[in-house]
Amino acid sequence: MAESDYQLLDRYGAGDETAFEELVTRHQKTLYDLAYRMLENHADAADLAQRTFVQAFLHHQAFKRESGFRTWIYQICMNLCRNAIRDRAGRVHEDIHELELAGSQDVFAEVSGAELKDRLGHAIRTLPSRQREALVLRVYHDHAFAEIGTIMSCSEGTAKANYHHAVDRLRRVLVSNEG
Amino acid sequence: MTCHDIKDLTVPYLELDLEPSRVRDVTTHLDGCAACRTEMETVRQVLVRVKGVGVPDPGDRFWNEFPGQIRRELARERPPIPSRLWKGRAGWPMALAASLLLLVGAWSLKGLLDREPAATPLPQRVVAQAPRAQGSQPTASEPDLPQLAEAEWQAFWDEDHEMVLAEMASRLDRKTVDRLFGDI
Repeated sequence: MAESDYQLLDRYGAGDETAFEELVTRHQKTLYDLAYRMLENHADAADLAQRTFVQAFLHHQAFKRESGFRTWIYQICMNLCRNAIRDRAGRVHEDIHELELAGSQDVFAEVSGAELKDRLGHAIRTLPSRQREALVLRVYHDHAFAEIGTIMSCSEGTAKANYHHAVDRLRRVLVSNEG
Repeated sequence: MTCHDIKDLTVPYLELDLEPSRVRDVTTHLDGCAACRTEMETVRQVLVRVKGVGVPDPGDRFWNEFPGQIRRELARERPPIPSRLWKGRAGWPMALAASLLLLVGAWSLKGLLDREPAATPLPQRVVAQAPRAQGSQPTASEPDLPQLAEAEWQAFWDEDHEMVLAEMASRLDRKTVDRLFGDI
């Protein structure tokens, strides 16, 4: 039977480096997925997933274990995503040539470019931040609304409302485009 | 149940997030309302399409290197800890032993620096001047100072106590240190 995250964290705290490897391997793909869906490119997603783990391991002793380890690192990741999105919003006035140059250096630029052309992708991107968080956590990560509330630092009801608004908005955008 | 009610319950219905009685009410309404059935199907299609949006996999190489990158980043961010021994049971005795050794070392150094260069080395003076306790024969490996009587110690102390301290410190050889701190 596989060890729980808590057991691995205890072993890591006691200096067992194999527990570190196991914890990272166990959660790296879902964290990267979450970061990618929020930030939409490989470089930022990889950087943010890495920073999430670094923060988690640096401050693991402060983790009160009132939620699961996964929920906790999702919280960290979502907070970092919000900061990154806010920083990005502050850079929209950068020179357009500089942005194009930065984009061409991304090894996943083609994939991102294809997604950018996708209407649905655009609709998701233009969702208000909280609605998008709820949508991503629910649709792609199968979290219960109570857990989504914990990750988003809001009530279960607010998480549900954000999700419902997100779906409704997507429906309106897609239907109007398709019509 | 009205069409307006159904609109609010569409997502919870598709998410199976409704009480069984409410699910029955919605299903009954849908059976008799083509417009709400169309609306329900539209939302279902939206969710299916949203779910179908994938994330490109960066590949095995990326995943294999990922834990190592985090480890390196952690090492950069975390201030180096000399040894985990300090966090264990052995920490305090080791710290105490280290402090005592430092103290003895400083004491010894001070005595050596204060010693007059032209004067006869204290060990010789002490050995030459101090009357020995009866039957005692000092050897090179056995310090003779502890064999002096209290009054004799006092005389040397009054003459130059710093030199006596320096001499005592210099006689704390490896064997003595091992004996003092061997149990720690």
